[in-house]
Amino acid sequence: MVAKNKKRTWKLRAGDLVIVALVLAAAIGSTILVSQAHAGEKGSLAIVEVNGHEVRRVSMGDSQAARTFTVEGWQGSSTFEVKGGRVRMTKSACRDKICIGMGWMDTSGRSIICLPNRVVIRITGNRKSGGVDTVTE
Amino acid sequence: MAPTRRVTNLALLVSIGLVLSIIESTFPPLLPVPGAKLGLANIATVIALYVFGTGMALEVTVIRCILGGLLRGSVIGLFLSLSAGLTSTLVMILLFVLADRFISVIGVSVVGAAVHNAAQLAAAYLLIRNTALFYYLPYLMIIAVPTGLFVGFASRRVALSLEGLSLA
Repeated sequence: MVAKNKKRTWKLRAGDLVIVALVLAAAIGSTILVSQAHAGEKGSLAIVEVNGHEVRRVSMGDSQAARTFTVEGWQGSSTFEVKGGRVRMTKSACRDKICIGMGWMDTSGRSIICLPNRVVIRITGNRKSGGVDTVTE
Repeated sequence: MAPTRRVTNLALLVSIGLVLSIIESTFPPLLPVPGAKLGLANIATVIALYVFGTGMALEVTVIRCILGGLLRGSVIGLFLSLSAGLTSTLVMILLFVLADRFISVIGVSVVGAAVHNAAQLAAAYLLIRNTALFYYLPYLMIIAVPTGLFVGFASRRVALSLEGLSLA
């Protein structure tokens, strides 16, 4: 319990500034870490996982024709679209639709993640060299 | 504090936290990033910590997270909010006990927000096992500053008014 005799001043203190600075430093530090981990090459393959298990993989060519796919997630179906080497979530059974708000994604190593529906679309491969050459469907 | 008073205060704080989190759930997401929330419910925990002490803060958090999870009917949500709530409350208590002379309620609240976001990401990682989740960490750290400040100033305002009353 708080000692009743100790009168609290409630004023801002120097430590508060230090803390804000530390949190901002953590933000910058983690930005650097994340950007180094994912070098930002365009990916060639979208791997769809539901609850950690791969259910589908779709190659992302340069074709401008839109292709849509639907997978069953934890709460309902998730629909995503592949077009021009990019992928985005178009429909989702989740509540906040954060996955749809993430928009188009084409960078290898990045993911569209829908936590409520437990659907992850992971982009992998490298369009320039190595990685996956092609995937048959 | 008499047991009846203590139970009443605890129940009030838990209710405040629950109502705040329900109100907050009607707001649109701040950023298209999972877990980027204002964290209004943390106001109840911060008030508990500064007006009633460490034990009360811990109890408010645990009971609020469990009841909130049951109300929403989501086991994943309960796991995420309880693990993040517990971690951030423990860190806030640690700062409150050890560094009260150097850090005010505002700083403690910012630390609480940052730890909450980081812990929730770690808990989500345990569920989904995809390191790509940590891509969100920078956004969650940046958003923790304004949300933590907001919660801190709101809690301070309330605590200032409660201080004059002999609640404890």
